[in-house]
Amino acid sequence: MTEAVPLAPPRRLPVWWMILPAVVLLGGFLILPYASIVVMSFREASTSAVYGDGFTIGHYTEVITDPFVWGIVWRTVRTAAIVTLVTLLLGYPVAYHLARTRSRWASLLYICVISPLLVGLVVRTFAWLIILSNSGMANSALKAAGLIDRPILFLNTPLGVTIALIHVFLPFVILPLLGNLQAINPEVAMAGRSLGASRMRTFFKVTLPLSMPGIQAGAILVFVLSMSAYVTPAMLGGTKGRTMAVLVVQYLVDNFRWPAGAALAIFMAVLTVSIIVLYLRLTARAMRRLP
Amino acid sequence: MITRRHLMASIGASALMLPLARRAMAQQPFVIPTYGGTWAKLWEETLVPEFTSATGIQSQIDVGLGKDFVSKIRAGGGAAPYSVFMGNENIAATLRAEGFFEPLDMSKIPNAANLYDGLINTGNNGLRAIVSPIGLAWRTDMIQTPPKAWTDLWENPEYAGQIGLYQIGNTGAQLFLRLAGRLFGSGDTDIDTAFTKIKELQPFTQASWSGEVAAQLMRGDVAIAPVDWTEILTLQDKGAPVEIIVPEEGVLSYEQSFNIVKTGPDKEAAHAYINFLLDPKIQSILADTFYVSPANREAVISEATSPRLPVQGEAMSKIIRFEWDNYIDVAAEVADRWNREIG
Repeated sequence: MTEAVPLAPPRRLPVWWMILPAVVLLGGFLILPYASIVVMSFREASTSAVYGDGFTIGHYTEVITDPFVWGIVWRTVRTAAIVTLVTLLLGYPVAYHLARTRSRWASLLYICVISPLLVGLVVRTFAWLIILSNSGMANSALKAAGLIDRPILFLNTPLGVTIALIHVFLPFVILPLLGNLQAINPEVAMAGRSLGASRMRTFFKVTLPLSMPGIQAGAILVFVLSMSAYVTPAMLGGTKGRTMAVLVVQYLVDNFRWPAGAALAIFMAVLTVSIIVLYLRLTARAMRRLP
Repeated sequence: MITRRHLMASIGASALMLPLARRAMAQQPFVIPTYGGTWAKLWEETLVPEFTSATGIQSQIDVGLGKDFVSKIRAGGGAAPYSVFMGNENIAATLRAEGFFEPLDMSKIPNAANLYDGLINTGNNGLRAIVSPIGLAWRTDMIQTPPKAWTDLWENPEYAGQIGLYQIGNTGAQLFLRLAGRLFGSGDTDIDTAFTKIKELQPFTQASWSGEVAAQLMRGDVAIAPVDWTEILTLQDKGAPVEIIVPEEGVLSYEQSFNIVKTGPDKEAAHAYINFLLDPKIQSILADTFYVSPANREAVISEATSPRLPVQGEAMSKIIRFEWDNYIDVAAEVADRWNREIG
């Protein structure tokens, strides 16, 4: 009778091996670039080198105390807020319909929703450039309808940027909302209806509160994307519709002011995160109060 | 567990790999920075194969803007990705001041002997090999009185509210600003006067690049604007009602400055490439494709293109040039002021 040979215990990889990919990913693609930008934002400016040898907080002081910068910050935040609100108002009914429909055309509707994402951003923005020009389709249609005598200035204004961003970011609010609305059991709303609540009351008291996580996610996504959007404001906004992202690129690329541009970028990132934290707190508090 | 034997074997293998790695590096193609669109197409389809066939140097293009090349060279530090830089002279001046360039070895660029006056920088610190003059263009169906001089922009009330100008991030705006200083002030460094005069032209529409000016003219958003011949002749080819003149005071010009990058990997190839671009045959191809003015006196423009390019031969002296080495100290301040005061 042969003696059983005990199997060697499987070799276990150390635990830190498991988190190594995440550490490399975060460290290499997030922390290192950010750290580099933060360090650069404190370097002194120079006209004979990328930046000077010394360190300064001067770029931050300049950014924070400059009314010109605050004017563009206000325009950027206002544009992002309007885009977020309008995409929510336009996207919610679409997501609701898609979540509830049993139509055989549902897949066609899905394609319509994601269609803005199927074309390159530059191409989409060029299309808006043509539509919104003084002699473009929008002004021609308004003039033909007798609503205007002189063309509305869409291009080189925040209005043109807002319109184009709404189109570009609409799917980003519809898709999270759709997932959320599909997860809501329709019987919950039916229960409300069976207890005598009107359609409207059922929607506002049952469906809308339950879809708050989807609204929250979509709103954050669109707000962040609008705050950092570059191509659309750069192509349609001109100088009057210029946003922070455009200003940062101007500092970095046009004026070669890397330290000041880095300070501006960090300032913008901090501002965006602050607004989102505030929004999360407010919406979390509102959700707690829901029935 | 890593033993001493493993370690020695690894070091030995690495040492054996070094010559291979060096060889691989040496075989890396020469990187040519150029612009996108029709520029990249011409380089890929015609110029790169011609360059390889003429010199035996394998090369590949990297598409971007002059400012992108600046960022990459800066980011490269002691090991720039390019050996040659191409960009507008005012942009090249920034990198030159930062010590990224070295003077050209003119003995390796014999074609430079035939360049027009003013195209080689002092001390052989770069040369301009592609010249795109900027004139005054207008919509013939929107403007009754065609312009004759740059000063007409200020003096003819018909143009009010219909003017287009480059945005300050574009070299064209910096050229126009300095021109205004020269026309109305004490010289092209009289920035205060230049700003005062440009504000007198408001309201005007701004454009970030020449293609945008062309689109604004096509849409009728502007009726008159400074822009380069390349754009206007291309619009004319499409049947657009546009015309362009050499103003009485002279023309401005986008001049592509070519420089040797001090920390680039292949400066021999960089010199060969610059010499290749200055070849009369290549200059003729560039003129026929982009309607640029040949920089080489020996270049012959085709019969079809020649009558449409007024800035050639003796007329090359009509190009108004500015010194950029000192301007770069105030460039950021000027750009900031433009953003604040003009918008």
